[in-house]
Amino acid sequence: MKVKFFAGIRDCAGVKEDTVQFSGTVGELLSYLSNKYGDAFRKAVLTGDQVSDRVIILVNGRNIVHLAGIDTVLGEEDEVSIFPVVAGG
Amino acid sequence: MFGWAGTILRVNLSEGTIQKEALNRNDAKLYLGGRGLATKIMIDEVDPQVDPLSPENKLIFMTGPLTGTMAASPGRYMVISKAPLTGTIGCANSGGHFGPELKFAGYDGIIFEGKAEKPVYLWINDDEVELRSAEHLWGKDVFETTDQVLEETAEDARVACIGPAGEKGVLFATVMNDKNRAAGRTGMGAVMGSKNLKAIVVRGTKSVEVADPEKFKEVSTDARRKLKEHPVTGEGLPTYGTGVLVNILNEMGALPTRNWRDGGIFEKAEDISGEALTEKYLVRNKGCFGCSIGCGRLTKIPEGKFKSFGEGPEYEAEWSYGAACGVGDLAAICKANFLCNELGLDPITMGATIACAMEMYEKGILTKEEVGRELNFGDADAIVELTRMTGLREGFGDELALGSYRLAEKYGHPELSMSVKKQEMPAYDARGVQGMGLSYATSNRGGCHVRGYMTSVEVLGIPEKLDPLVTDEKAGWLKIFQDLTAVVDSTGICLFTTFAIGLPEVANMLRAAVGWTTSDEEILQIGERIWNLERLFNLRAGFTKADDTLPPRLMEEPLPSGPAKGKVNELEVMLKEYYQVRGWNEEGVPTEEKMAELSLR
Repeated sequence: MKVKFFAGIRDCAGVKEDTVQFSGTVGELLSYLSNKYGDAFRKAVLTGDQVSDRVIILVNGRNIVHLAGIDTVLGEEDEVSIFPVVAGG
Repeated sequence: MFGWAGTILRVNLSEGTIQKEALNRNDAKLYLGGRGLATKIMIDEVDPQVDPLSPENKLIFMTGPLTGTMAASPGRYMVISKAPLTGTIGCANSGGHFGPELKFAGYDGIIFEGKAEKPVYLWINDDEVELRSAEHLWGKDVFETTDQVLEETAEDARVACIGPAGEKGVLFATVMNDKNRAAGRTGMGAVMGSKNLKAIVVRGTKSVEVADPEKFKEVSTDARRKLKEHPVTGEGLPTYGTGVLVNILNEMGALPTRNWRDGGIFEKAEDISGEALTEKYLVRNKGCFGCSIGCGRLTKIPEGKFKSFGEGPEYEAEWSYGAACGVGDLAAICKANFLCNELGLDPITMGATIACAMEMYEKGILTKEEVGRELNFGDADAIVELTRMTGLREGFGDELALGSYRLAEKYGHPELSMSVKKQEMPAYDARGVQGMGLSYATSNRGGCHVRGYMTSVEVLGIPEKLDPLVTDEKAGWLKIFQDLTAVVDSTGICLFTTFAIGLPEVANMLRAAVGWTTSDEEILQIGERIWNLERLFNLRAGFTKADDTLPPRLMEEPLPSGPAKGKVNELEVMLKEYYQVRGWNEEGVPTEEKMAELSLR
């Protein structure tokens, strides 16, 4: 599965993207990635065991808010994008 | 007066006269300032069917009651006129320092009438106001003009001016201030040029009084704290600028690619993103007067054929010159954007018009002989050279100067113009972000994102998270966004504050500044009144329900890939609901009851 990081999340991960062998939920993926990338990453994406309200997580371009949230089930072919809450215009 | 300066300048360019008039307090109470108050003046004094480039049109610069105060991001002013690009009420908002300086000189705004016989500029030095010859400035670009008039007046003055594009009637020419800030859309620079008005130079040494200084300080500090703590206004925008949006729109499949022909995923999005700009070319960020956000970019291309230095680009320009033209060369995009600042061009319409021409060329509608060069998507040299040629109206640039709609219509293919009411839409594909389609279709100044920024709820989840692929709830939310935006614009603070604060904070600052006890709801109703007044102007100019539409591509050609694959914009459903929510009849005309409710009768 491909995971892509953007803006400040990219700084926390130290890479633009990662390919991980993973199956499970979004919540489990965030825990997995936090263990891999460390506390700064964990602090950026998780508040306790919930998704931080300061990030936007897309699965195949769809915000997980409109899927099953933290319980959204991921498959090997899925692509996950993690953004801080950003705006502009 | 508190908040307002209390005086408006009226400059008749035909007669060379300057009058100082007392601000109409009743109108200020009903319409605040900025686009609200200026639109009221337009509808009272100008026939909405006037030729926008004739002396009978008027050009109004207007601040708001919070401009130049210590409110959050209070650096804004607006330029209002009938728009040459769209034929609608024209209106463009800018930051920098010019607006506050006008307040410090003691004026809420300036109404320009008529047309000067020869080029002039207006020099405002506090109470002393005079018209001066600008014949020696005609033909100079924005930077040269600014430097020259400062040398002739005062080095600490502030300047708003036009470049060659405004002089030559490019229909999307901007009014530029402080060199790099633009009142960008609808062609206000062309109106200024049609009046032979090259520049306004202002120096002010007064201050803006507020009704309750202690309360004002308290509520402004509260708003500023919220801006600092919010991830968007405290981190994202200062660090990455507005271009931070490129990647998220692309990942959501809503970054319009190659004149919106190839869907919403641009394969080189990463190369033109805010992250790439920060990594490769950013010198530092920069804020407008009194702003804690600092979304502006000081940018340097250190080497190569596009070597240059300037400000920007913003997200919209990264898209218009980038994804819309199929160009992944960020240095070329920066260079083209700098040229827009120097020549006085709107980079959204400029890039989108080149994109339209590229599709026409690839379809064989335009030939190499007509364009003077090859013009395929992805041509980085073309976006730079055609921008220069358009600003100077050289060769094929003379045709691009009319915008994409008139260009495509001339060759029998208006459907290839990605515009609404002849103004090019910005960087959000309305097939993948449904509510943005309704926003474009109903915007009172044509295709535009900052009249009702539905992207905030549909993409960014601020303040709530709406599904971008459905039409539910979009009409109601859009009305709130449109009305609140009209309030914010008319107070003189920056719209970007509303990512972190809302109506309560804006209302608190306004009340403390002007000394009102008005409720939040009543203040939001001022926004609704302004929105309806703009609608009335457009209806009287000849616009109808038929103009509240989108290019056929968005309603007939489904997105080919991404999460919105197979979607078109379902405008008809949303528009019907929108008219109802607005209290308009089925033809999109405000009802008598709505007019009475808003004191518009």
